[in-house]
Amino acid sequence: MRALPLIPLLLGGWLALPAHAADPADARIATLFNRLAQAEREQDFQGTFVYERNGIFSTHRIWHRVQDGKVIERLLQLDGLPQEVLRVDGKTQCVSGTLVAGVGNTPDSSGRLLDPLKLMSWYDIKTVGETRVAGREVDIVSLKPRDQHRYAFELHLDKDTGLPLKSLLINDKGQLLERFQFTGLNTQAVPTEQELKPSDNCKAVAQVPPQAAEALASWRSDWVPPGFELVKSYVRKDPQTKATVSSLMYDDGLARFSVFLESLDGESVTDTRAQLGPTVAVSRHLTTPKGDMMVTVVGEIPIGTAERIALSMRAQDVQTKQ
Amino acid sequence: MSREALQESLSAVMDNEADELELRRVLSAVDDSETRATWSRYQVARAAMHKELLLPQLDIAAAVSAALADEAAPVKASRGPWRSLGRLAVAASVTVAVLAGVRLYNQDEISGVQLAAQQSAQQGVAVPQVQGPAVLAGYSESSEQATGPMANGVLQGQAGWDNQRLPGYLRQHAQEAALKGTESALPYARAASLENR
Repeated sequence: MRALPLIPLLLGGWLALPAHAADPADARIATLFNRLAQAEREQDFQGTFVYERNGIFSTHRIWHRVQDGKVIERLLQLDGLPQEVLRVDGKTQCVSGTLVAGVGNTPDSSGRLLDPLKLMSWYDIKTVGETRVAGREVDIVSLKPRDQHRYAFELHLDKDTGLPLKSLLINDKGQLLERFQFTGLNTQAVPTEQELKPSDNCKAVAQVPPQAAEALASWRSDWVPPGFELVKSYVRKDPQTKATVSSLMYDDGLARFSVFLESLDGESVTDTRAQLGPTVAVSRHLTTPKGDMMVTVVGEIPIGTAERIALSMRAQDVQTKQ
Repeated sequence: MSREALQESLSAVMDNEADELELRRVLSAVDDSETRATWSRYQVARAAMHKELLLPQLDIAAAVSAALADEAAPVKASRGPWRSLGRLAVAASVTVAVLAGVRLYNQDEISGVQLAAQQSAQQGVAVPQVQGPAVLAGYSESSEQATGPMANGVLQGQAGWDNQRLPGYLRQHAQEAALKGTESALPYARAASLENR
């Protein structure tokens, strides 16, 4: 029943697409997004930005340098823990703090760019004006979802370089869920070797072999919101709980969610819902031929959507037997 | 009304021991300059007894009265219905909050749309979705409340499995996202924010 109202929406989205591409307004969007991608690849910069979700506010420094065609980027949290990340060409070299077991670089992980044509199917993208961010002129681009399964974004792109200087995530009630915003940006001073050098806290990230087949062989989803595609899946063993966890990550080109599946082994648990600013987590108990499982959906999507995704996970055996 | 009775009442009001009748008596006499002078003297005496004497030259009450006299009276007719409506809204939102809390706590079937609707009923201003009282009603974490990874979030259901697993899943998701893309520093910032406790 819930899918019915979606059908015209989906058809509308697809049918509208060719017309959109020809529209001069959309050509402008495409230009803005291409400039953004180009700026990430070619522009040297350093700056300070803030990140805010409900009740939590943090400040960060970013150094970004392009050298011999390679993009080197270092990020450092300026308040509280000195959290740090160093990336070279989209591959994470080192991070401070501990990564969850199994999280690491896979051979296929690489930089991903906003694809305006793909996004236009799921978001109504418009330039809605101009303003200033970090003392610089910016264009405001709004991305409003065409269905109820994702949040709206507002991007502020630097007129001079095309860099994203501000990003807001907004729910269907118009409430702000998170804010990412530069407070200062310098495109003249090229970051030095010293500034790009990670501290001793930054630990190398392991290369993780892909195990997509394993996770995919066991599970499938009856339903994910239209536009979301599987981008990563693997099975890991939790070193603390000794439990085997299958992980699937989906992506619509902008928003992401992960599905975690874990066998319960007779443990009794309650269904759970949690929300931390932009990120929602929904746990659902699922009875499958393989035994009782807990399905947890975590992502930057509305809670109702996460719930539906959790309820739509199926053990693969069911299908092969039928 | 005798001067003496009034003075007794004044004293009672000052000591916060006046009954309703005495309070009314004082209020009706407060415009009288002699009463005000008496009140002022009593305050000085009281302050001296409590060793907190300051120069009591400030007659704030007179200033407030003057300001009130200058101000245009609000239209009374429009006030009545709005006030009662306001009270009704407060009552309704309390009911909604209670209902919502109970429903969430009981882990009923509740869709995101309903949840959002309940929250918006309680909060007229644009604040992050998760701050409504309804969700707090189901929030269950003990001593780690202020510092735990869920401190600023909403966690319904009992402590146990999800308290162990959920933070791990949240981190795994954030870290995967941060490692995955370079489109902006946003996923990194999300992951870093999750580590801030």
